[in-house]
Amino acid sequence: MDKKMTRRKFLGKLVAGILGGTIALFTAPIAFYLLPKKEKKKLNIFVDPKGNPIPESSIKEGDYELGLSDEGPVIIVRREGVLYAFSAVCTHLGCIVKWIPSRNEFLCPCHAGRFDANGAVISGPPPAPLKRYKIEITSEGFIILS
Amino acid sequence: MNKILKAIDERLKLSELYEKYLSGYMVPGNLNFWYCLGSVLIVIFSIQIITGILLLMYYIPSVDKAFESVMYITNKVPFGWLIRRVHAVGANLFVLVLFFHMFSVLIMGSYKKPREIHWITGCLLFALVLVECLSGYLLPWSQLSYWATTVATNFPGAFPFIGDFLVYVIRGGEKVTQLTLGRFFSIHVSLIPFTIFILIAIHIFVIRRTGISFPPGTDETKVKKIPFFPHFVLEDLKVIYIFLAIMFLIVFFYPQFVLPRDALIPADPLSTPEHIKPEWYFLANYQFLKLIPNEFLGIFLQLIIAVIIFLLPFIDRTPERRIWKRPVFFGIVIFGIIFYVLLTIWGYIS
Repeated sequence: MDKKMTRRKFLGKLVAGILGGTIALFTAPIAFYLLPKKEKKKLNIFVDPKGNPIPESSIKEGDYELGLSDEGPVIIVRREGVLYAFSAVCTHLGCIVKWIPSRNEFLCPCHAGRFDANGAVISGPPPAPLKRYKIEITSEGFIILS
Repeated sequence: MNKILKAIDERLKLSELYEKYLSGYMVPGNLNFWYCLGSVLIVIFSIQIITGILLLMYYIPSVDKAFESVMYITNKVPFGWLIRRVHAVGANLFVLVLFFHMFSVLIMGSYKKPREIHWITGCLLFALVLVECLSGYLLPWSQLSYWATTVATNFPGAFPFIGDFLVYVIRGGEKVTQLTLGRFFSIHVSLIPFTIFILIAIHIFVIRRTGISFPPGTDETKVKKIPFFPHFVLEDLKVIYIFLAIMFLIVFFYPQFVLPRDALIPADPLSTPEHIKPEWYFLANYQFLKLIPNEFLGIFLQLIIAVIIFLLPFIDRTPERRIWKRPVFFGIVIFGIIFYVLLTIWGYIS
């Protein structure tokens, strides 16, 4: 290894160091700027696409409501007076499932994936059941998912 | 790594390009500080493009959301304040350095044959940068944005016959509204930057074809030449770092120069702030218009001056570049600059 540092090599390394430092200084704030900001954990309320909370009283017996949670689209079904909440996102390729009351099951319109009333796969390509949420009702009648 | 680079070079012959266009490209060894301003301008343009793209990620071009989104960038997004301030300060320095660059070209007579195209593209770039600044000014939808744009877009109305139509087209309607914001946003982020990029490419291309001009008064046959890279690039870097130091001094310590109080208040079309004035680079034009009793005449005279400056290489055709051998020209330039600076100061304090 050549241990002798010539003037040219020294200047080359100095300039490279200064440029590298400048790039690092410029890149750091840009990286932080681009990183998604972590939001404080808040109540995961079931809302409509405009962000308005959906009251539990609006879901009648045998009916269902499609809305949003912090994690994405959610479908809530009322059967025998009890509310059941599932992720509305099909586990196959991410299409939105529909509730078919006459068959008591969920159907994915994209590739005909079928899920039973508890979200388990009946048939079709979906590799996993629909994610199920626990439900709490606030004093104002809004639905909190967890 | 070396092996990969060698393999790429073996196929693409990049080292040939490096030798031809960088290390083998010789420039006069006596180039001074003024010759580095073009590189500074390229750095500023790059900074504006990068910060502009970053701001676009959060900015919403809607009259209801624009100010809110800018406040979100400034107060909530990590380092958003920095990105916004650098973009705002960078815009102002872009104009300032362009002034200096054009001043040096004027004084050194570098616009003369064979460099007429350099001057023409430079003038077009200057005009485009001013339009870029003006269009970007409206985007935050603050009191300052709204009223400065209202005043600025009123001026073309002074033209006889087509004035009202021009204002209508520029604003997209009778008043400054969402339609104005939409068209200003569109040209600010796409049309003008793209055109500036093309013009810079042409500007650099013609510089490379004719070569960099020698400082006036030097004997071209006796001046020692140096390689563009690394020798002249290092000189450029020195000036670029001085520029960056000035820019960040303003960004960190004097942001109020570019973001005054009215820039922090959302636009209110029913309340004009007191003493609304254009940006510093339009103050001279603004004061000039105030001095001339007829608005059309004021605009027309300024247009005449702009056309004379634009066509300068075809008006001043003497080959002499040394300023001390051109006393009349030197007198006009110095008078023009003093007049411009005085008008700017007058416009600021009036």
